[in-house]
Amino acid sequence: MFSADAVEVAVNQGLAGPLGRGALLVGVIASAFGAVASIYAARESSHHDEARTARLIPRFAALVLFAAFAAITAMEYAMITRDFSLQYVQDHGSRSTPALYNFTAVWSALEGSILLWVLALALSCAAVVWRYRKKLNDPLIAWAMAVMFIVLAFFFLLSFAPANPFGVGAPGVTDGPGPNPLLQNHILVLFHPPILYLGYVGFTIPFAFAIAALITGRVGEGWLIETRRWTLCAWGLLTFGIILGGWWSYEVLGWSGVWAWDPVENASFLPWLTGTAYIHSVLVQERRGMLRVWNLSLLLATFSLTILGTFLTRSGVLNSVHAFSESDIGKYLIVFFGVIVAVSLWLIAWRGDSLRSPGSIDSPVSREGAFLANNVLFALFAFVVLLGTVFPLVIEALQNRQIVVGEPFFDQLSKPIGIAMLAMMSIAPVLPWRKASEEVLRQRLFWPAWCGIGTLVVSLLVGADGLAPLLAFTLGGFASGAALRQLVLATRRQGLRGLVGRANGGMVVHLGVILIAVALAASNSYTRSQELSLKLNTPAEFGGHVFELKGFENEKTDRLTAVKAIVQIDGGKSYAPAITKFVQMGNNIGTPSVKSSWRYDLYLTLEPPVKSESGEARIKVFIKPLVMWMWIGGGMMAVGTLLALFPGRRRRPTDAVSAHIDSGKTLNA
Amino acid sequence: MRNSRIARNVAIATSVVVLAFFVLLVTAKPRGERGISTPLLGNPAPAVSSPVVGGGNFDLARRKGSWVVLNFFNSTCVPCRAEHPQLVAFEKNQSTQDNGVELVTVVNDDSDAAVAAFFEKNGGDWPKVTDPDGAIAVAFGVAKVPETWVIDPSGFVRLRIAGEVTNDFLSAKMAELQRELAAP
Amino acid sequence: MKKLNSLPVWILMLLLTVGLLAFGTLRDRGPLTQQGRIDAISKQLACPTCNGESIYVSRAPAAEAIRNEIAREVASGQNSDDQIVAVIENSFPGSVLLPRTDGVESLIWILPVVALVGGLCVLGLVFRRWKNASLAHASDEDFAIVEAAFLKKNDVTDDENV
Repeated sequence: MFSADAVEVAVNQGLAGPLGRGALLVGVIASAFGAVASIYAARESSHHDEARTARLIPRFAALVLFAAFAAITAMEYAMITRDFSLQYVQDHGSRSTPALYNFTAVWSALEGSILLWVLALALSCAAVVWRYRKKLNDPLIAWAMAVMFIVLAFFFLLSFAPANPFGVGAPGVTDGPGPNPLLQNHILVLFHPPILYLGYVGFTIPFAFAIAALITGRVGEGWLIETRRWTLCAWGLLTFGIILGGWWSYEVLGWSGVWAWDPVENASFLPWLTGTAYIHSVLVQERRGMLRVWNLSLLLATFSLTILGTFLTRSGVLNSVHAFSESDIGKYLIVFFGVIVAVSLWLIAWRGDSLRSPGSIDSPVSREGAFLANNVLFALFAFVVLLGTVFPLVIEALQNRQIVVGEPFFDQLSKPIGIAMLAMMSIAPVLPWRKASEEVLRQRLFWPAWCGIGTLVVSLLVGADGLAPLLAFTLGGFASGAALRQLVLATRRQGLRGLVGRANGGMVVHLGVILIAVALAASNSYTRSQELSLKLNTPAEFGGHVFELKGFENEKTDRLTAVKAIVQIDGGKSYAPAITKFVQMGNNIGTPSVKSSWRYDLYLTLEPPVKSESGEARIKVFIKPLVMWMWIGGGMMAVGTLLALFPGRRRRPTDAVSAHIDSGKTLNA
Repeated sequence: MRNSRIARNVAIATSVVVLAFFVLLVTAKPRGERGISTPLLGNPAPAVSSPVVGGGNFDLARRKGSWVVLNFFNSTCVPCRAEHPQLVAFEKNQSTQDNGVELVTVVNDDSDAAVAAFFEKNGGDWPKVTDPDGAIAVAFGVAKVPETWVIDPSGFVRLRIAGEVTNDFLSAKMAELQRELAAP
Repeated sequence: MKKLNSLPVWILMLLLTVGLLAFGTLRDRGPLTQQGRIDAISKQLACPTCNGESIYVSRAPAAEAIRNEIAREVASGQNSDDQIVAVIENSFPGSVLLPRTDGVESLIWILPVVALVGGLCVLGLVFRRWKNASLAHASDEDFAIVEAAFLKKNDVTDDENV
């Protein structure tokens, strides 16, 4: 695409580096000044109504956004024009990498990924400034902006100094190895990291507001409703990013799974768990004005976990196939983590008690009670995942030996927790606020319960067995019934508007979660696999399907040599699992080929050694039930989140919110 | 009020736990410093007994008494080829010393002829051990080349390096390991 | 509808569910094929030279070789699953993934249970404290007002929109 000569001659050689670094420096300075201006504005406006410094904030935010864009554009430019004067391009660029993967190579390694992080942060900051542009002299907003600018300053500094992507490389280098081979064969590399980062980084906004609320002492309904929307947005993006990651693993890695409890995966899961807890318990705050300090703590914890996650994946302390190469930045990140947690805990200790809400919850059997139980479950799950992830470090510190904590631990513990969550999802949506009477519960849960029993019967009829998956299916049916009931009632009352709004969008999300849970249970418990030794044009049978090796295809480019086995399934379409050897990397990557359908996926991999001359190939066939439903469930979660972001039916404050209670019985238990 | 200190107390208790956690993370050693981990480290090296390209046999067990550096190599892998001159220099260096280290190549997933041709063209006169069914690679757990393993005179694995090495790096590491072994 | 909704019907539903679940559980006889056994065993072992992946997950040649070793053991039919795991563990110490239940490693199992119990206790305490913060009792007149207000609305029973 670009001839070597053209690159040599181009004037741009070497320009991207200084421009990019300069942009980063501008970013550092602009965010530092933005922070100072915001703090000043926050303090000034407690004395006066007008804060002139507040007017500077949008300018600094714009400057920061410009700097972030400029930096990543410079990096992309260097990558696209194969500017090998930069060390980063020497390490991760290549003349033979196709354009798409060259573009994404920018975030394929540590330094570049921080640029992406900075861009996401700058966008979030600009979004907040834009949203509250008329209220910047409100101390709450100003303090929140201060926090955002401080976080921005840290990450700009990180990118400017220890993780500098614009460092100059050795002279005279004319080609590089390109990004990791696993990042070069699927288009999801273009979507998963940016979406994941937007979600991850998006949690900075509610964190900033939480800190601001603690500092100003204003935890009333105003900031709450605002941050709830931002958090839902970030949460939705994080959810979608994680699901895309699972899909990408499935399509590319060859072991036919979607989640391996790898430390980097867990690092993205932890803030998701606390974020989900927050989304639920904040509803109690909206309804009853309670749990204010707890909700603040959840937001502080979520952000801290994102920083912890970044530390774990970039410091090299944990063994992970996903981890970026080690570098120095571990110590900066851990110090930042320490500062964040220390500040958060100190603010809670100082202010928490004076901000706690009066009031109480009448009965544990109520929606409030259910949300509290939900929080306990999610907190427990987060604890388990964190424990399993850092346990090797604990053992190494105590006994100086290395262990690996893997799927057996996480699977064994996440199953009961998952089942408990499905059970909660079955009951909570029908629980009224304040107090539920037994009759109301029985009446509302009747049809959902029959949905559950029906699902159980159907599962047994198709041959499912095993307590855990059957429980998952039963409760999945039960919970779907509860969610559908809510949706049906809402649409009956309001037509299509019944699909919009927090509760209804939330039910759609629940349905998505249930689909994913059921699909996971099915594919984890009932995957069957078999290795087949195929000879040319000789069919072999497995699992009710016929596989026939039709031939081989060889591909040889500068970048790779690949051997593909063309396998025809059931005399119809052909699928081509492959083994690819990337020349620059020296190792073989197996690429699976997948035939999807509603009931199960047929997942084919090619096993080495391949004897194409003698017309033999060993393929492994996996039959994976219900995998497609995972992606459908993921899509539903995304749709549900969008629906939930829309404002729903406006409640009149005088509307009754509790269920009808028979007179004659007291309100108190 | 009696219960007006809950937030503060919980925050203090949490700080203690977080502090312990923080110390744990700060003192954790990054992987790089320990070399690539392998359970073979400090343990007897797996047996290596296999024909050598060009005739003869190589048996690691009979190498006891001297340090052996095993380099897993493939003639089509670019980092291996890039590393080769460094290994040539390293071997030359070691051969001038008494108690020099023995350098041995293990052919990884490649044809013996191709390896022989490569060495013919680029120099390097040390034994190249064949590994036709990959048994040696599997025994050591080598997934990706190049990899370099250092085995001490008693036959124990001392170091595993993944990726390219330079003459300077390898020589320095050897000196360090030899010192460690000599000093009690 | 009221009849269907009664307690005896619910008890029947519960018994039906438990019965079906028991039937389904007893039907589960573990991995049926050799490949199933191999998969179950390889999920319990870590690949010794990959970065923390299990033998089941990892595509590295070392993992492949260990899978072949497991396949040979399974095919010979001599050892049980646990024995095979022990054999592999002998060749590659430290590769068993499931942390043991003795020694310091048992902490990894104990702590989650402690956390669960702790969480439930906290929940219990919190609820008790709230209960003790006594609310005013409503009088019969208050109930009557609320009842009348409910009846005035169109949909009486199902207004639980958040």
